[in-house]
Amino acid sequence: MILVPITYRGGIYRNDEVIDLIEDLGGYIVQKHVLAGEVVLQSFVPKEDIELIRAIVKPLSGEVTDSPLVGTEIAVVIPSLEIHHLPHPACDIAEYTRRLGAKSNMVGMARGVGKRIAAINDEERDVINEHDIAVYVLGNFETCIEYKMPVLRRGVEVPIVLCGAPDKETLQRIVKPAVDGYVGNVGRFMHRTKESDELGKLDEIIAEITRVLEKKREEIAKDPLSVSPARLMDVIKEQVPAIHEVTSPTPLTVQMAGLRVKLPYDTYAGVLKKTEIEDGITIGDIADVVPSRMRDYILVKILPFSSTNTVI
Amino acid sequence: MTAIEYFEVECAEPLGGEYYRQITNDVLLDHNLLIVIHKLHVFIDPKVPVFVAVGMLKKITSLVRVRDFTNVNPLEGKIILVISDEKYLAPMLKIFWQRFGKDHVEQPDRFTVILYDVSADPREIEDIVVADPSESLYKDLIYAFRCIAPEGFRVRRETYGKEKFSFVASEDTLNGSADTLITEKFRLMGETP
Repeated sequence: MILVPITYRGGIYRNDEVIDLIEDLGGYIVQKHVLAGEVVLQSFVPKEDIELIRAIVKPLSGEVTDSPLVGTEIAVVIPSLEIHHLPHPACDIAEYTRRLGAKSNMVGMARGVGKRIAAINDEERDVINEHDIAVYVLGNFETCIEYKMPVLRRGVEVPIVLCGAPDKETLQRIVKPAVDGYVGNVGRFMHRTKESDELGKLDEIIAEITRVLEKKREEIAKDPLSVSPARLMDVIKEQVPAIHEVTSPTPLTVQMAGLRVKLPYDTYAGVLKKTEIEDGITIGDIADVVPSRMRDYILVKILPFSSTNTVI
Repeated sequence: MTAIEYFEVECAEPLGGEYYRQITNDVLLDHNLLIVIHKLHVFIDPKVPVFVAVGMLKKITSLVRVRDFTNVNPLEGKIILVISDEKYLAPMLKIFWQRFGKDHVEQPDRFTVILYDVSADPREIEDIVVADPSESLYKDLIYAFRCIAPEGFRVRRETYGKEKFSFVASEDTLNGSADTLITEKFRLMGETP
């Protein structure tokens, strides 16, 4: 069964029926947002059942759209959390990816500013590496990008999409070795993205992120994961009641090949490892449960079939 | 940028310069500083790296007086002031306390101040100067240019006079060439530093 990411938007009326339908078909709800009179469900559903869901939700005035970013965690990396980058353009990009289903985190570096003095520290590097993809939002001068990019990407192993003011061809020319994606003409600016050409640029960033993530998905498909991250999320929700006490907006953040569990590592790592998924197979058997560099959270990295010889 | 007579951004990278022109415009507009700047020349060289901004200011003559934001109503034995803008309330109260004493000044609610048994004429009270916006202009201007300048340029030198200002920033130590740059940029505007 191939699960595809979708977003459902509809009214509150009979939304529980839609949730039941997705779960009965073997799908998973990753996030549920209730905004005034509207319900937004970000979920994974079986590919062959999308048309069935569309037909059933039609009388409820619900809408089902493809959301390639559902179930991904994106790091928006900026040189600092100063007014130079916030709220525009960094927040605009982070918010835009969030609307399309991704969980985005902003990583503002402690010493990422300037040209000669720019640097990345080990904590920042590790936090970025915990994400599925890193979107670097840099500045307006190709001289600076060329000079500081090798420093800022040091040790970063996840795919990188680079945004900067020079055009795409220039970015491709100056960044060596090449990164996975480039979006030109998005540098530092101090106004809200509301003009149509600026919104077009945000769409271009999303398209580039989607393209890079698709490539990563294909790589994962060559050696499939032992369990789907969305399924693991459901298992933890059912068997670890403490997760329901967490006030964070996403207590369980689904990634492409794992999960971020927002429970303290020392107390709950053992509990998670022993949690049974099916037929005596526990989470500890098919995944690495490691401490996250983000607060004291837990990171569950699901192992591929080649390491465990198990797919459930 | 119609309010500014001369506005130029000079940069070795044309695209970067265009972005910085937009940033300068946005920040000065957000901080309401376009009305005080007469001429402005910005120079950026990312290779050095250095950021220079030099400019001429307009004369600011407007002082904020009590009558600009209050309605003064004289009654028997007291004067009631109805406030329309709270921004200057605190400095106004401070002046009243010093001048009339706290016993004679009462503030029953946010938008009302009552003066009891004061010797001053209502017209005299209306004319009291509460604030001089030009005093904070220097701080506002420097803050705005810190936002405009590329981030990480923490070595700064600012000068500010009645009509002129200059701002130089870099991530390296500023040497004598910064002064040369300032002189040169003032000359491009047709002014002397």
